[in-house]
Amino acid sequence: MNTPHYLPSQWNWKAAGLLVPGLLLCGVVPASAERLEKHFKVDAAPVVTIHNPDGVITVRAWTKHEVMVVANRASSEVDLEIEQSGNRVDIMTHQVSDTVSPADLRADYEISVPQDAELQIHDDSGAVSVSNVLGDMNVETVAAGVELQDSAGYLTVKTVGGSFQCVRCAGHLDISSISGNFRLIDIHSNHVHAQTSKGNILFDGEFLPNGNYFLRNYSGDITVRFSPGDSFDLSASSYKGKVNNQAQLTPPAQGHHFWHPKFGNSLFGSLNFGRAKIDLSSFDGTINILKRN
Amino acid sequence: MATPGCKDFQNNFESWMEGELPPDARAHVTDCRSCARLIEDLGSIRLAANEWNASEEPPARLWTSIRTQLVEEGLIHEPQSESAKAGWLQGWFPRLPRPVLAGAYLAALVAIAFSLVGPVTRRVNHHRWAEDMQNSTAMVSAQLDTAEQTTGFADFDPEATASLHQNLAIVDNYISLCEKSVQEDPEDEMARDYLYDAYHQKADLLAQISERGEYGR
Repeated sequence: MNTPHYLPSQWNWKAAGLLVPGLLLCGVVPASAERLEKHFKVDAAPVVTIHNPDGVITVRAWTKHEVMVVANRASSEVDLEIEQSGNRVDIMTHQVSDTVSPADLRADYEISVPQDAELQIHDDSGAVSVSNVLGDMNVETVAAGVELQDSAGYLTVKTVGGSFQCVRCAGHLDISSISGNFRLIDIHSNHVHAQTSKGNILFDGEFLPNGNYFLRNYSGDITVRFSPGDSFDLSASSYKGKVNNQAQLTPPAQGHHFWHPKFGNSLFGSLNFGRAKIDLSSFDGTINILKRN
Repeated sequence: MATPGCKDFQNNFESWMEGELPPDARAHVTDCRSCARLIEDLGSIRLAANEWNASEEPPARLWTSIRTQLVEEGLIHEPQSESAKAGWLQGWFPRLPRPVLAGAYLAALVAIAFSLVGPVTRRVNHHRWAEDMQNSTAMVSAQLDTAEQTTGFADFDPEATASLHQNLAIVDNYISLCEKSVQEDPEDEMARDYLYDAYHQKADLLAQISERGEYGR
């Protein structure tokens, strides 16, 4: 079930009382932003897909078994297709004509979903922000930055130039980019795979027992913060750059094998019992393993 | 080095890939690590390709290109019949995705190229090994350049288009740096690993650029 409301932005009846006579006087129909709100009843773990060429997408979790979509389109040159199919809600922005100007192509979405929703988001430019959603997530962007907060599940994020930030994320993180910077803060995950080419990577989180943490770039800094009580096996290699280390490492525990490159600046060793595995590599960037303050 | 057994097997391995497993071929694969590895690599590529949703056939030149490369490398030989010539690889990839799949076929090419090179320990002759490496990377590089020339940028979103151009340049720069490092020392696994990644990243980016034109209009 859904309840569509097509209304201009900031619409209310008081405003209407002023606006309508004004328009009648001027004889002009504004080609301004248009607001659309839809509600969909869903079951547990609904799937929400969003395909938007340009705009800000904000997704928040709420306690209702309902998906609410509030869309603002820049002009009528884009068509917003928002439909429910079973336990799935599909949101898509279509370009109506080939002559549309870039400014008119934009559509912003504010979406409220149940906490266990699964998200699939594609946004070329603009920004993507998701908070408190615990279901699996797949986000792909070109230039748009991505921010996740208090998320969990299987998280896959792929950008071309967009940056990525994840705060208090858990679950399984798989992140890739070409020139995006990554900031992974207060992470509680046993699988982090982050790869960017020309970007910095900051990891400041827990190293869980049996966790795997793979961070890789071509250039830029890779910075990992650890606490003295952490337990991990570490491999850090920069082919043409430097490795700076503040951890008191011992030779790797028996049975743990790391591939030792023939060239470059490399560092291998264990901290405490070597329960997690950290693999850091860069082509000509700097790797910093820093003690947390 | 290929033995008469290898040649016989490779002349008929299309049948093998189509599921025909004659006892003598099975025996050969059991004994020959080289052929077993070839089958394993191509099987993996086929499996990966089948996972992509297909809607259009890839361009014929793709098959010609891959086949030519394999023939040149001596891994396969021209089949005797015209029918076999027409459809051997199509048979493996019955529903390969659209040509955007630049990513798909280029990734396949990359995989093949690097599987030809193999680990350092498999090559006794350093010069031959370095030469193979150079040939393989040159082939992949040329394929990527061709794909780039035929890939059109959808320009309805200037910010995204600018980002794609910029990042393509970044990847090209890394490819140049890595190729230089590999040329300086072809045995360096780390440099090869980064080069492989850079090729793969470019193929993936070209696929993404192609796909952008498919939606939003």
